[in-house]
Amino acid sequence: MLGKLMKYEWQATWKLLVPTNLLIIVMTFFACLTVRLDGLSSRNEGVVFSAGMILAVYVLSMFVALIGTAIYLIYRFYTSTYGDQGYLLHTLPVDKHHIIIAKVLVSQAWVMISAFLMYVSILFLFNAEKDIMTDFIDGLKVMVAQTIDERVSAFAVVMAFIAVIVSMLARVLKVTACISLGQLSSNHKLLVAFAFYFAIYIAQQVVATLYYVFSGYINRTRSWNPFDSWEFVLIIELIYSVVFYLLTWYVMDRKLNLD
Amino acid sequence: MAPIVQCMGLTKTYGGKLALNQIYLNLERGRIIGLLGPNGSGKTTLIKIMNGLLNPTAGEILINGLRPGVETKFSISYLPERTYLAPGMRVMDIVQYFQDFYPDFQVDRAYDMLARLQIQPYERLKNLSKGTKEKVQLILVMSRDADLYVLDEPIAGVDPASRDYILHTIVGNYNRNATILLSTHLISDVENILDEVVFIRQGNIVLQAGAEQIRRNEGKSVDRFFREVFAC
Repeated sequence: MLGKLMKYEWQATWKLLVPTNLLIIVMTFFACLTVRLDGLSSRNEGVVFSAGMILAVYVLSMFVALIGTAIYLIYRFYTSTYGDQGYLLHTLPVDKHHIIIAKVLVSQAWVMISAFLMYVSILFLFNAEKDIMTDFIDGLKVMVAQTIDERVSAFAVVMAFIAVIVSMLARVLKVTACISLGQLSSNHKLLVAFAFYFAIYIAQQVVATLYYVFSGYINRTRSWNPFDSWEFVLIIELIYSVVFYLLTWYVMDRKLNLD
Repeated sequence: MAPIVQCMGLTKTYGGKLALNQIYLNLERGRIIGLLGPNGSGKTTLIKIMNGLLNPTAGEILINGLRPGVETKFSISYLPERTYLAPGMRVMDIVQYFQDFYPDFQVDRAYDMLARLQIQPYERLKNLSKGTKEKVQLILVMSRDADLYVLDEPIAGVDPASRDYILHTIVGNYNRNATILLSTHLISDVENILDEVVFIRQGNIVLQAGAEQIRRNEGKSVDRFFREVFAC
């Protein structure tokens, strides 16, 4: 049943999110073309204006795609799980774990696709004056080289990458947990969901601050390196993911109260 | 065999407000049962608990001897009082959806009923009228070979001319060993198909009796009797 749930979740989301991601690709193409043709340096005011507009629309479309994807995935989870469509979802003969896993994995996939496209888009834009494919590879090298100011093992780089993915998963699950916790309120479900979100956000900031204070980063007894703290990020984000998952499951399975 | 539905001291409160008050109720198999009561009497709350959409505050409910869960959802076919289908889906997509998730779904029966109502399979639900959407939902629900059909206000949103068709669909398409629990306040429309009625008022079961028994003992129709029992 998990496969079927994922298939329908994917079908329900792709109609809006494929065009959103295509928007990123199309605007990247136009923005790169504008930079390559050096439109902003033209003596023709019309060309300069058009180039400025294209770059402005590019930046705007990035924000729209980023925020739009997040809002849509949150809206989709809320309406299909706790709105009218929840009446169908929760009367299907499927385990609640499968429902959560299907929704979270599909959302995670979209978040990763959008994040990857945006990264590639920015990479292309900053290297638009040169050969694109060569610069894509160079860009990765430069990014890693610029980020790391000391020797880091390949293992640490891979683990840091995994930590980033788990961190994204924890963020998706935080949203599902907060929306679910909001359902415990009889009258102000969305308000309570927001309250939980900000309370959890503050708690997470406190935990992170305490870690950096006690691990010697903030008082500069250690130099900061993003690949050096992957253990903490991976462990804490895994803990967050498990906690948020269990909260979502608890409400969905034990405290479900559809209006 | 044990009753298809057993409620034992079933209680539900919403923020201190009592919706169901220690209900004890058994529903037997192979019956068409009307769950009758005015608005706010607790009909929908009871139905939602049966379907696992609400958790009871106290007491217990058993469907086929089991607490609401994955197993009981295989045996209940539920029609809610609202549209629960995604508006962007085509009728044929939602038929496929039901076929994918319910092993007892009879796809030929569904397409036969859709054809008789001249509902095109490729139509998107958002392009259908409210009444047609309700008919699509009813067709989906009645195309299953379930043990228990729970229909919450199946005729409330459709015109009187369509009500006969819907009732005909319900009676003509259910498994004879199954039970239909039909919630409504439009009693005169459904009276003729009911074997049994359950009157519910302010979260309490005030009567459970055979429809024929009421007509014989009271000398009046169930609708007339209901109006007297629930007179304001």
